[in-house]
Order: sequence, then structure tokens, then C-alpha cells
Amino acid sequence: MAERTPRIEVAGFVFGVAGLAAEGRAWVEGRYRPFLSRRAPTFGVHVRASERYRPGRTPRPSVTWNDGCFALASHPSRADGDLTRRRVAFRAGPGPALNPDLFRLLCSFLLMQKGGVLLHASAVVDRGRAWVFSGPSGSGKTTIAGLADDRPVLNDETIALRPSARGWEACATPFYGSGGPAMARVNERAPLRGLCFLRKADRFAHRRLSPSETVSRAFPEVMLPKRDARVTERLLTTLARLAADVPAWELAFAPDTAIWSYLDGLD
Amino acid sequence: MDSTESFPVRKSVPWRTLDTEALVVDVKGGLLYPLNSVGARIWDLCDGARSVDEIVGVLAAEFAAAETTIRSDAIEFIERLADAKLVSIERRRRGESR
Repeated sequence: MAERTPRIEVAGFVFGVAGLAAEGRAWVEGRYRPFLSRRAPTFGVHVRASERYRPGRTPRPSVTWNDGCFALASHPSRADGDLTRRRVAFRAGPGPALNPDLFRLLCSFLLMQKGGVLLHASAVVDRGRAWVFSGPSGSGKTTIAGLADDRPVLNDETIALRPSARGWEACATPFYGSGGPAMARVNERAPLRGLCFLRKADRFAHRRLSPSETVSRAFPEVMLPKRDARVTERLLTTLARLAADVPAWELAFAPDTAIWSYLDGLD
Repeated sequence: MDSTESFPVRKSVPWRTLDTEALVVDVKGGLLYPLNSVGARIWDLCDGARSVDEIVGVLAAEFAAAETTIRSDAIEFIERLADAKLVSIERRRRGESR
């Protein structure tokens, strides 16, 4: 009987995940349930439980990329991939069968190849268009997602932004933050209305950001290690394009559902 | 810094000019340095062909400020770029080739 391989769809990529034992497969199907897909895989992930436990200092996540080959590392797992053959081998360490940190790094790297970014941000869809709220931990991403009422939340921690023929889209991801799995219940996408870089306050205030300010604010929030010149070169190009196409603001906000009418008034 | 014999050279790092500002990446630290319009112009002029003196001359012609102010600001800024290892300072006499 053929092995059942879960398929996970994130931001238009469909990953066929092979090599999982029954227990690992059950974990993957539970962890990524809203993102399971029936579409044909566009990228193969082969998981091998071969990375041994190595006590010591936790290395920084890393991305290296040379022509069609790439290597990703997010302790305690590593991955080696081939862009041409559209496949990647995961060497899983102890812990989850498909390490979410490494899987997120893979999504971020592939998205970069398509001219998009994986951003440390929450996003809420209001009347068919997505507001994306970015900022460092504690800036209010999950708080705003919690104010969504019946508006779809794409995620409270990690949002994929990618260009399409109709402009930039914000896509849900399975990589949730402090809001937990409830913040990654739907796999939807929506045209991008605007980007807000958050600051908690006791009242609402905003300031339109210039393109260079937008790139400066977004750069540290992109979920990629930035110690590879080719990666940062590509990243600057993508963020400059995003900043030219999409309006961005610095937003001070109070935790109040009036935020949605306030956002309507941004110019 | 001897401004006539010091030639700042941009390191080979990713950077972009947006509007009149520049964004320079320190790849080793994984950090982005935003430079305002004056900083961006100095960065652009750090091509290894101009001495600090010549860079000050260009800035004085383009910006409405006293040359003494421009000189001290430019030297301080270039030294900060050098400390961040975003430029190197080549020392040679005027007319000497690189």
C-alpha cells in the first residue's frame, strides 16, 4: 500500500511531505490541519530523522544559497534543497516531525524566490481586503487580531505577502504566535489594503511612512536570517517594490474595536 | 584622519537608494542602516576615487551649510561608516593610483 503523504498548502506552495512514520504523520496532519490540501504538490519535502541531538550552544538560524541549491538550519533541524528539482530533505532532530521553525524558514526562502516575503505580522481581512500589522514582539499584533470580531484573521504572527497579477496579496500561514492555533484556522488570502507598523498607545494616531521608512521598518520583521549577501540583496529589491506599491503607516493604537473605522480614514 | 590622503571606499554590501535616502545592509550583523539624504550622498561619493577633502568639496557645492560644519560632519560620518565596517579607508597621496 502506498504511503499516504500529507500535502500542506502555504501561500500558493503545495508541499508533499514524505518519509514520515505513522506517529509523525498524525502529528503533521493535526498541527497543519487547516492547511492540508488536495492539490498536486509543487514542492517535495522528504523528512529523515537523522539529525542527532548535540548538546551545546544553539546556533543561529541560517540560510545559504548557491545557484539552484540551498541549505537551511533552525536548531535542531536542517534542510538541504534543490530549487530545480523542487525538493528538499529535512533532517529532523528530536521534537516535532516537521519542525515548524524550519518549515517556516523553508516557506520564507521559497517565497523570496517568488518575489514575496514572510513577515512577522498579523493580518485581518476587512471587507475583502487585508490589513497587515507588523512590529516586534509586544507591539500589539495578537492584540489587534483579537479585535477582529467576525473578520477573518489570517494569522497573529506570520503573514506571507506575495505579488500577483492583481497586485500584492496577504496569505494566511500556519505559523501562529501567542494567540495559539485559533489564530491559524483558515487558509485564505486577500488583496493587501495596507501595512501598519504598530505602537501601543492609549489613543489612535498615525503617520504615513515614506518608501525608505517602510523598507527600514519591514526589514527586521522579515522572517529570514539576513547574513547572506544574496538573500539581503533579493530582500531589498522585494521590499523596495512592496514599499512602492502598498501604502504604509506607523500606527499607534488603543485596544478598541473602533480601530476598524479609524483605519477606514487613513489616507 | 588626513582628509587629503584618505580615500573612503564602500564595501561590497547590498544597498539601495529610495527617494533621496539610502538603505545599506551590514550583512555580517544582519542589520539595515537607513541613511538620510546627506548620508546617502556621502555614501555614494565613497567610491575610492575621491579623497575626504574632495567629498567635502562636492557636499559644500550641493548643500547650503558652512564648509567647516560639512567637513566635521562628513569626517565623523565616514569614521562611523568605517567603524561599522561599511567603508574602508585607503591611504595614498593625491594622484597615486589605487
